Amino acid sequence: MEVAPRMSFLMTTGDIPFRLRVFSGIVAAGFLLLLLALFRTQVINAEMYGTREQAQSLRRIRLPSARGDILDRHGVLLANNRPSYDVVIYLDQLRISKRQDIYRVASSNLAVLAEAMKLPVTLAERDIRTHYHKRRPLPLTVWRDLPPPTQALFAERAAQLPAIELIATPIRQYPNGALAAHLLGFAGQAEQPDDEEGDEFYYYQADTAGKQGIEKTCDEALRGAPGGRTIRVNPSGRSVGEVGYKPAERGDRVTLTIDANIQRIVENALDHAPLPGGAELRAAAVVLDPRTGEVLAMASRPTFDPNLFTPGAPAAEVGLVLRNPASPLLNRATGARYAPGSTFKPVTLLAALDSGAVRAGDTSVCKGSLQIGNRSFGCWNRHGHGRVDAATAIRWSCDVWFYEKGMATKVDAIARTAKDFGLGQPSGYDGGGELAGLVPTPAWKQAHYGERWWDADTAQLSIGQSFLLTTPLQMACLCAALANGGKVWKPFVIRRIATAEGVIVSETKPELRRRISSPHFEFARQTMLATVQATDGTGQRAAVPGVSVAGKTGTAEADIRVDGAVRRIKRVWFIGFAPYEAPRVAVAVLLEQGDSGGHTAAPVVGQIFAGIFGKPTARAERGGVHAD
Amino acid sequence: MPTSRPAPFFQRMDWLLFAVMLALAVTSVCFIYSASYRGPGQPMPAFYRQQMIWFGAGLAVYVAVMAVDYRRICQWATVWYVLAVLSLVLVLIIGVQVYGARRWLGWGRLGIQPAELAKLAVIVTLAYYLFHRTPEQRQDWKTVLAPMIVTGVPLLLILVEPDLGSALTLVPILFAMLFMAGARVKHLLLAVLLGLCLTPVAWWQMKTYQRQRLAVFLNPNRDPLGAGWNLNQSLIAVGSGGVTGKGFLQGTQNSLGYLPRTVAPNDFLFSVIAEEKGFVGAACVVGLYAVLLGRGLRIAANARDRLGMLLATGIVAMLFFHVFVNIGMTIGLMPVTGVPLPLLSYGGSFALVSMTALGLLQNIWIHRRNY
Repeated sequence: MEVAPRMSFLMTTGDIPFRLRVFSGIVAAGFLLLLLALFRTQVINAEMYGTREQAQSLRRIRLPSARGDILDRHGVLLANNRPSYDVVIYLDQLRISKRQDIYRVASSNLAVLAEAMKLPVTLAERDIRTHYHKRRPLPLTVWRDLPPPTQALFAERAAQLPAIELIATPIRQYPNGALAAHLLGFAGQAEQPDDEEGDEFYYYQADTAGKQGIEKTCDEALRGAPGGRTIRVNPSGRSVGEVGYKPAERGDRVTLTIDANIQRIVENALDHAPLPGGAELRAAAVVLDPRTGEVLAMASRPTFDPNLFTPGAPAAEVGLVLRNPASPLLNRATGARYAPGSTFKPVTLLAALDSGAVRAGDTSVCKGSLQIGNRSFGCWNRHGHGRVDAATAIRWSCDVWFYEKGMATKVDAIARTAKDFGLGQPSGYDGGGELAGLVPTPAWKQAHYGERWWDADTAQLSIGQSFLLTTPLQMACLCAALANGGKVWKPFVIRRIATAEGVIVSETKPELRRRISSPHFEFARQTMLATVQATDGTGQRAAVPGVSVAGKTGTAEADIRVDGAVRRIKRVWFIGFAPYEAPRVAVAVLLEQGDSGGHTAAPVVGQIFAGIFGKPTARAERGGVHAD
Repeated sequence: MPTSRPAPFFQRMDWLLFAVMLALAVTSVCFIYSASYRGPGQPMPAFYRQQMIWFGAGLAVYVAVMAVDYRRICQWATVWYVLAVLSLVLVLIIGVQVYGARRWLGWGRLGIQPAELAKLAVIVTLAYYLFHRTPEQRQDWKTVLAPMIVTGVPLLLILVEPDLGSALTLVPILFAMLFMAGARVKHLLLAVLLGLCLTPVAWWQMKTYQRQRLAVFLNPNRDPLGAGWNLNQSLIAVGSGGVTGKGFLQGTQNSLGYLPRTVAPNDFLFSVIAEEKGFVGAACVVGLYAVLLGRGLRIAANARDRLGMLLATGIVAMLFFHVFVNIGMTIGLMPVTGVPLPLLSYGGSFALVSMTALGLLQNIWIHRRNY
């Protein structure tokens, strides 16, 4: 009997058949191979598989932020958010078997609710299917903005329908309706950006984006920062829990220079403009503080209710606004150009006096028209003003005096002064949507018409016609500069941007664009005061008892097409400031169609000043007035 | 030499082998629990409790098999073999059809897979047959041919079910035992060559899903949402487990159902362990198997006679094949086949077979050479 073999832990050493050693070697090699392969998978490639695991089971959902508030200068809310109570359905929470169809299950669930709430289901089959395949873990909105009684009806049924919920989402609200609609603009749904943010979020939920006005120009600040939710989904795309959450940051609060009270006065005044029969109200008004360039009010007519553009608004009503030929969305205060007519005359006056070619005492004899070359140019007063000097030329708005003195001054000086006042260029207004207007020059005419500049053109320019185009905002700036003795401000409406917690992000300081120095400002201002205050002034209807209003009327003829036929209508203007001694308010009002600046626009300005300074309007007491 | 019994068998048994078996069984119950866990508040499937019952039954068989001398058991080889073949025929006739295959005999939860039992019957039969060949006969090519037929009959019957994985298990058993019996390597290589020649026939005979599985094995990125789903999700589960794993019950691949619930507790239980316990846990499991099979080989080396050595070799070959193919499958080293992991995967038949086989190993050890 041989000696018993020595034992080791696993094997007996010695006396092992060769073949058993081979077999054991194969088994050992197999285990080693498994260990190496496991090491490769779990240690070397662990990160790669970890990434794949997250990619397939984690989804990031973008959470849109609530837009910041917009306030007037005294803190009155102009735009904020209110909760919209929406009924949503979580398609991934519906228990459906493989053989059931998601659309049928969803719509049968919704039908129960629809009957209880007496609301029709407006979701199309395609909406449900697309949502189910593309955005499964997200709620699908079924009904928006339920009124409280319907919410109560929902609550009665909610317990039986676990996949359906009532959720509150912030919705943009303009508490004052159409007040300052053009200035504020409105917010709609943002488009998904093409940049990496689109990839970063698997499920993109859009912010609201400002589409016009302050909502647009301050969009970045108002929007805030989106938050995110990371959820885990199972292979069928159903959410099984939240992994991470970052709340969205509310947008910044924008405080405007607007005074809601003045805004209301201005809009009310426009709405009550004494229009000639048959004329539609298409108008704009801008009120500035001539000491700073702050926009105190800005209005445009016709108007719209920005609340209409919230998500889920009836498409028919939105379409009505969008297709309206009167373009109610257009902000005529900044986005439309008109010939300023006689409101330009103070510019011509200053250019004439400053150039030295004309002195204030120089007179012309107005016979109702003036022959220039082989054409006759009329004064608005066909009977003629007789002998006219600089003061009466403004007060009576005599065209003939300006034809003659304008031609004597030469186009270059007039155009230069006009540009000094900020015409023909954007004012730099921070509310957006601004047009540049046009100050014509001989070079410009040559370039655009291939024609030389005639004396007649200078004459026309002198009374604010020919090719001259301005926006009401520019005219308000011009008026403010006349009021304050030559300070051309950059008008601004955004006073301050602060976070929702009140930390100031930015604050606008008044910015002087140019200082026009002229020894004749006081004279020009006096003529404008007389225009309103003198019994023979054309701007009497802007007068307000107890307030020293100064101003200038304007009427410009324009040809418009109505149903294919060309009609000649009168654009009417009034620019004015008050109080004369220390102006605090400068106003420009334009109406696209009126009788004359003195008849149609001046009363509007009068009403504005009366409102601002708390006085009754003088309009009713005045008798017949000279027009223009 | 007369057999003397100086001590009761439980004093002579390999306690380490027994301890490893128990450790694997406990691991199995824990991770079958985890694999069927669906989150707090969700109903808990009873898989893990059923598996405990199977292990209980397995332990009873284990003790019974230890108690009877293996030589006596092998004397009945023909009976075991005929019973196995009969049950394989029976399952084709009255078997319960699951996913298009007839693999189950019995009712409801008490199903038995004859294919698993056949593995043991083939091992016993081959050991008994080869044990009775003279050294000259063992060199003869006829001694290679006869075991091939003995193995081939149940193999073909299992293929018809079809159950490719179980059928293939018989092949390494056959070769390992022939090799250990002393068959000429030349004959074995010839047989392998012959088998390779039959590969095209096998491909032609394969079901579509089997071909897809092979194609996916060769290229895991092919059809990741269809045929490649299980392999890819298993790889992600194992790989994302990293070094230390996500923690017990924290395996998202499994609990969210990326690793399908139908396969997680059985064929892919190792993926669940690897995901939740990481490389450390996975290596521990591989280590447990290494100890288990190392002890098996030690028993083969110390067997009293060639019968015991052959029997032990067949059992080690079977268990090794299962371990290697199953774990290899979860990490893309082997194609996806339904080969369960011994003592870990959920399932009664193979748990019983595994414990019976380990009982036989203990039996051989108890009756080893120096006793």
